[in-house]
Amino acid sequence: MTDAALTSAAVAPPVETPFRRFASDFFANKVAAVALVIIVILALLAIFAPWVTPQNPYDLTQISIFDNMLKPGAKSMEGKTFWLGTDEQGRDMFSAMIYGLRMSLFVSAVATSIAVLVGVSLGVTAAYFGGRVDSIIMRIVDLQLSFPAILIALILLAALGKGVDKVILALMLVQWAYYARTVRGNALVERRREYIEAAQCLALPRYRIIFRHLLPNCLPPLIVIATVQVAHAISLEATLSFLGVGVPITEPSLGLLISNGYKYILSGKYWVSVFPGLMLLLTILSINLVGDHLRDLLNPRLKA
Amino acid sequence: MDTNQIRRWIPAVAAMGGFVLASPAFAQELKIGLAAEASALDPHYHALTPNIQLATQVFERLTDQDKNQAPQPSLAESWKAIDANTWEFKLRKGVKFTGGAEFTAADVVYSFCRVPKVENSPSSFVSHTRNVDNIIVVDPYTVRLTTAAPFPLMPVTVSNVAIMSATEAGAPAGLTYNKENCTGVSAWPKTDDFNKMKYTGTGPYKFTQYVPGDRIAMERNEAYWGKKPEWQKVTMRPITQAAARVAALLSGDVDFIENPPIQDLPRIKANANLDMVQGLSNRVIYLHFNYIDDNPPGVSDAGGKNPFRDKRVREALSLSIDREAIVSRIMGGVAVAAAEFLPNPLAGTNPGIQAPKPDLDKAKKLLAEAGYPNGFGLTIGTPNDRYINDAQVTQAAAQMIARTGIKAQVDAMTQTTFFAKRTKREFGIWLAGWSADTGEMSNSLRALAGTPNPATGFGTTNPGGYSNKAMDELLTKALTTVDDKQRNEMLAQASRIAMDDYGVIPLHFEVTLWAFKKGLTYEAQVNQYTRPDAVGRK
Repeated sequence: MTDAALTSAAVAPPVETPFRRFASDFFANKVAAVALVIIVILALLAIFAPWVTPQNPYDLTQISIFDNMLKPGAKSMEGKTFWLGTDEQGRDMFSAMIYGLRMSLFVSAVATSIAVLVGVSLGVTAAYFGGRVDSIIMRIVDLQLSFPAILIALILLAALGKGVDKVILALMLVQWAYYARTVRGNALVERRREYIEAAQCLALPRYRIIFRHLLPNCLPPLIVIATVQVAHAISLEATLSFLGVGVPITEPSLGLLISNGYKYILSGKYWVSVFPGLMLLLTILSINLVGDHLRDLLNPRLKA
Repeated sequence: MDTNQIRRWIPAVAAMGGFVLASPAFAQELKIGLAAEASALDPHYHALTPNIQLATQVFERLTDQDKNQAPQPSLAESWKAIDANTWEFKLRKGVKFTGGAEFTAADVVYSFCRVPKVENSPSSFVSHTRNVDNIIVVDPYTVRLTTAAPFPLMPVTVSNVAIMSATEAGAPAGLTYNKENCTGVSAWPKTDDFNKMKYTGTGPYKFTQYVPGDRIAMERNEAYWGKKPEWQKVTMRPITQAAARVAALLSGDVDFIENPPIQDLPRIKANANLDMVQGLSNRVIYLHFNYIDDNPPGVSDAGGKNPFRDKRVREALSLSIDREAIVSRIMGGVAVAAAEFLPNPLAGTNPGIQAPKPDLDKAKKLLAEAGYPNGFGLTIGTPNDRYINDAQVTQAAAQMIARTGIKAQVDAMTQTTFFAKRTKREFGIWLAGWSADTGEMSNSLRALAGTPNPATGFGTTNPGGYSNKAMDELLTKALTTVDDKQRNEMLAQASRIAMDDYGVIPLHFEVTLWAFKKGLTYEAQVNQYTRPDAVGRK
């Protein structure tokens, strides 16, 4: 069973195990495998950005206005080559994209993690207790899901002001409801299973039943949703920054880089927004491909 | 409807002679793409550039501003100061409103009376009438405007007050001016009725169609007293997206656009079918400081002091900024580095004054002397949709300031948020712009550098509270000096005092651009107005 596959993954012995079987199933799909490799490479680039980029584009003393709007491959005043050109502030586009990716990934990963934590706790609690607790939590979820995510995020940022922390908060607040609803649905099924009854007969404390017995068995759909939601968070962050309500302009994320170059597109200076755009596309596409394939593997109903 | 009009018009033109058939489609009609739409046709409703530039075409004033904002005869043929507190205007005879009424002194009284009566005006023209204490009608073609104190700026001030017809509005005979409240009029004209084209002016054009959000059409006033404009018909369309405006010009949808975006200039210049003019504007982009708060917002690690109160810090900031680099790199060369609030040769400027050259070593030395050898944290507030490339200019300035060791950051936001925060002093230092609607120095000095005081009207846009006694005194004296030459010398000196104190740091003057089809001409206006009557043909 796939549930068991995941819980036992951490202690996989070097023989045929559910995890190994899962891994070989996953890599059997070449597209998903390539996408996963791309994600790993992008993540490594983002994590080690200060060591792989020629310039820190967030440090105003390292960029020079005299190097602005250079074509890809042009040389700077000091003889450095900008392989992907520079933007209007003289930032090296390659460095700016890697740092922008780092910002985008960081913001969405942190926001998604917190949202998972909050959403899962509330969802499981709602399912386990039922009754009034369930009604209150799920009505809040319904209310939240009835508004478009971008609208809520825009209103929040308009009220809170700008800043990385505020973007994370906004993304978290628009996402938790998805996890709460998914986990609740799953937990409602699981809590009627015999192992929960057994745990209850042993008079285990409630938190232990919820978090040690109920929750681990609700994980598979959650993993799929979280993967796809990271991609959503990245594109939502990009949208907010593109609209100018996200990260500060001196620390651009991918969305802000695209927005900076957008007005030059018709003037033939494509590189300022096309390259970050491609980077954003590649990131979101890869995550979605991996997420889709995970869904296929983890959903028994989709298995032939 | 529009195509029908064109269809009716083509044979008419064709009948005028074979040569007309060969001439281009814009032969008699001028189509203009505007960057911003006027909020009403009422010339007294909203003191905003798009409204004023439109109104100048239909509703004339006693005087008109020439391309350098100097007052020129319009409905007044001549004027003179007959004593310190009285200006006499001789009105033009034989001028008719397009509605048929004759222009006389009664129209002047009525128009000045109506300005404070406009309902729900978002930005009133009262600032241009409040200095007029009384209007004395000497005869139907002579009026005297009196003031409580000497008011040398009267001739240029009246260029902002549009004249409408008292007869059309049904004004009572013998209406007298009262600064506070003109009485005896049962109903003042409604802005809505202006939008329905119920009232007419004496100008070179008359309105024929007004579709908010879509178009404003005008027709030439064939009975105009002055030089008749080139175009029989003018259609103005608001196209607020800069890229879309350029696209409309390139595709031939419009013949003339205002404010083409800087990044598209090379493309327009390279196009053999297009032409362009540029002119220095009266808008200065500047950095302003918060002097009031002990710990100004956005300033950190400054040892609990307000660093801007130290002149050395202000001078260091000014010296760190390479204005020429901002002009060439961010503004695409289409701006002029500024040394004071207005460019030469406008009244009250210092002839030959040069923008400070950057000097990083001296800036660092000054900061060390002021007690900040390692700089301090500084966040510069800026709008990102108000002035040309505003947020980019601020980032570039931050980049240059960062080289002194000051940890500069930029907080960019949309203009409504920015102006609200600026008024509440939520910035320590910010970038903004100012355009002098009188085209002379006293306007800028009063608003930006005068000590804020509601009684004197000084410092209306000086929320940071810059205060310089010597400058205030000289400015007060200049404002009541009627002799132009003397006044302008005093203003130049007052400007010098504020600049030598680095009270406000001017960066550059915006340059206004107009692009159009080859074969047209335009005379660049310092007040940034797009005037169809100034569009000519080669």
